[in-house]
Amino acid sequence: MKPTGLCPIRNARSFGWVFTFMLLTLVFTVQKSPAAGPFTIYVANYPLQYFAERIGGDQVKVVFPAPADVDPAYWHPNVAEISAYQKADLILLNGAGYAKWVNKVSLPRSKMANTSRQFKDRYITTKAFMTHSHGAQGEHAHESLAFTIWLDLQLAVQQAEAITRVLSLIQPEQKEAFKRNYESLKEDLLALDQKILTIVSRAQSTPLLASHPVYDYFVQRYGLNLVSVHWEPDEVPGGDQWRELRRILTRHPAKWMIWEGAPVQATVGGLKTFGVNSLVFNPCGNVPEKGNFLSVMDRNAENLCAAFKK
Amino acid sequence: MLDSFYIAWKYVSYNKIKTATLVACITLITFLPFSLELLLNESERQLMSRAVHTPLIVGAKGSSLDLVMNTLYFGEDLPELITMAASDRIADTDLALPIPMYVRFKARGNPIVGITLDYFDFRGLKIAQGRQLAVLGECVVGEKVAESLALKPGDSLVSSPESLFDLAGIYPLKMKVVGVLEKSHTSDDLAVFVDLKTAWVIQGLGHGHQDVTKIEDTTLILKRTESNVSATAKLFHYTEITEKNMASFHFHGNLSAYPISALIALPYDTKSGTILRGRYLSKEETQQIVKPEEVIAGLLQNIFRIKNVLDAVIAVVALATVLAVILVFALSLRLRQREIQTIFKIGCSRMTIVKLMAAEIMIIVLASAVLCSVMIFAVQNISHELVRMLFIR
Repeated sequence: MKPTGLCPIRNARSFGWVFTFMLLTLVFTVQKSPAAGPFTIYVANYPLQYFAERIGGDQVKVVFPAPADVDPAYWHPNVAEISAYQKADLILLNGAGYAKWVNKVSLPRSKMANTSRQFKDRYITTKAFMTHSHGAQGEHAHESLAFTIWLDLQLAVQQAEAITRVLSLIQPEQKEAFKRNYESLKEDLLALDQKILTIVSRAQSTPLLASHPVYDYFVQRYGLNLVSVHWEPDEVPGGDQWRELRRILTRHPAKWMIWEGAPVQATVGGLKTFGVNSLVFNPCGNVPEKGNFLSVMDRNAENLCAAFKK
Repeated sequence: MLDSFYIAWKYVSYNKIKTATLVACITLITFLPFSLELLLNESERQLMSRAVHTPLIVGAKGSSLDLVMNTLYFGEDLPELITMAASDRIADTDLALPIPMYVRFKARGNPIVGITLDYFDFRGLKIAQGRQLAVLGECVVGEKVAESLALKPGDSLVSSPESLFDLAGIYPLKMKVVGVLEKSHTSDDLAVFVDLKTAWVIQGLGHGHQDVTKIEDTTLILKRTESNVSATAKLFHYTEITEKNMASFHFHGNLSAYPISALIALPYDTKSGTILRGRYLSKEETQQIVKPEEVIAGLLQNIFRIKNVLDAVIAVVALATVLAVILVFALSLRLRQREIQTIFKIGCSRMTIVKLMAAEIMIIVLASAVLCSVMIFAVQNISHELVRMLFIR
C-alpha cells in the first residue's frame, strides 16, 4: 500500500495552483475593466469645469490644472501639463481664442470640444489698438475676439448644452442622466440670468465704467452702457490713467466702476474724488476662493444692485 | 549513367568559359521574370497595405494620384493646396474625424509632415525615445531619419529653404527634436513630424518678433502713425522657438484660411463614409474625396500593364537565348565530331554519345537552376527594403 502521508501535501499543492489560477483570473478580470471608472476631462477654465462637473456628476473626473492665482486666459501650461491634457479622454475648450496657449501646443483634435462652436457667428471682435506691418505681408493687427462668453448666461447655457452633447456621444448609456443634470443646471443659469435682467432693467442706460475690457458679452446680453479702461485691481493707476478717466467722464458721466476683483483702497479713494464708486463683478474664470460659479455670479448680481437703483 | 555524368562533368569543367556563359544565359533568363514577379507582388502589397488602411483622402481637385502619393508616401509632387476650412467642414458634418496634413517642406532631404496628434494614433505610431510633440517648434523624427542623421531627443534639425535662390524668403526654422518613433517599416520612418502650426511657422504664416509697438530703435521703424507702425526689414524674426520667445509667436487672421496639402477623413462608420463621399460629387465642388485603395489599384493596374510588355520582351529574349543555346550545342557537336568518332571507334554505342550530351546539358541546366534559386531567395529576403528603395522612395 502506498504511503498516504503524501496526499495532504499533494492536495495542498493542487489547492495552491487552483488558488493562484483564481487569483490571476481575478487580477486580469479587474485589469480588463477600466471602463468602469470615470473618464477624465481637462478644461480650459473654471466655468467649464463647473458645468462639466454638474452635468457629468460621478461619471466624470474634471481637471483644471491652472494655478488659482492666474488668469486662465493668459496662463501657459508646462510640458507635463500639456502631456496630461493630451492623455485626457476629453478636452473642453471655451473657444473665441480663449486660452492663447491652445494655439501654441499640440493637442489631439479628436479629443477637443469647442463649447462655443455652435454660435461662433456670435463672437465679438475687439478693436485692435495698433496695426503694424513688416516684410511683404502688409499691415496687420493683433486683434482678437472677446472671450468671456459665459458672462452672457444665455450663451453659458449653450456651452453647457454642447458639453451635454459631447458627453452623451462618449457615454451614450448615461445620456438620460446627463440630460437631467443639464436641465437642472440650465434652470439655475436661467434663474440667474433673469435676476440680472431684473436688476439692470431698473436703470439700464446708467453709464458705467469697467476696469478691464472683459465684459463685452455681459454688456451685449444685458444692454449696458459701459466704457472700459485698462486698470488692474492691485495697482494704483498712474497720472495718465487718471487723466484718461477725466476725459472719459466728461462724455460718459459714470458713477460706478465694475472691477474683476476688489481694488486697492487708494484706487477706491481716488475714484471717489471723481464721484465714482467701485463694485466687484468677478468673471470667475478661475476657481473661486469661496463658493462656486453660481454663488459667485449670484454675489455679482447682488453687487450690481447698488449701481442700478431707480 | 553515372559514367556519362562523370565524363560530361570533366568536359564542362575543362571548357570553363563556354560552360559559364551558358549557365549565365540560362540563369539570367530564368531569374528575370521570377524576380520581377516577386518585386511587383511586394510593391503591390506595400502600396496597398497603407492605402487600404487609409479610408478617405480629401484634397483639391486635380491629380488624385499626386494627392494620394503625397499624403500616404510624402511624395515630392505637391498637390494644389486647400485650407483648414476643409477640415472644419468635415468636422461640422459629424460623419468623420478629419486629420489635416501639410506635406510641403523638407529638412535635410527628409519630408516635414505637418499633422495633428491624431495622426500618431491613427497610424499606431509609438514613441521609442523621448516624448510626444508638446509645443510649437518641436519635431518627432522617424526611425530611419534618426539613424541616418544621427538624431536623438534634445538635438536640433533645421528646415530647408524651398528655393536656394530666394534670399529674401522665409528664414529656416531650427526645430527641437523631442522624440524618435519606433520603426514602422512604412514611409513614416523617413519623415520628420511637426505640429501643423509649426509647419505654418516654417512657411512664415506664424512668426515671432519684437513687439513693434514698443520698439525704441528708430532704425527698425519705417513709419509710425497713431494707428500703425511699419517696421523695416531689419526687424528681427526669431528662427527658433524657445520658452522665452514663445509668447511673441502669433498667427494672423483666421486659422481656417491656413493651407494644408490634404486631409485624411476617418468616417465613424461605413454609412457615414458613403454619405461623406456623396457630398463631394457636385460639379461646382473645388475639392475631391478619394479612396486611396482605388487610386493605388489603378496605379498598380498600369504597372501590371507595363509588366505584361516586360514579360513579352523577356519571352522573346528567352526564346532567342534558347535558340542560341541550341546553336551552341549544335556547333559544339560539329566541333567535337572527331571526339565523337573516337568514342564510336573505341566501341561505344550511339546511345552512349546521346547520354553524354544529355548529361552535359543536364549539368548546365542544373547549375543554372541552383544559381537562379539562390538569387531568387536573396531577392525574396531583401524585397521589402528593395521595393521601398526602388519604388516607394
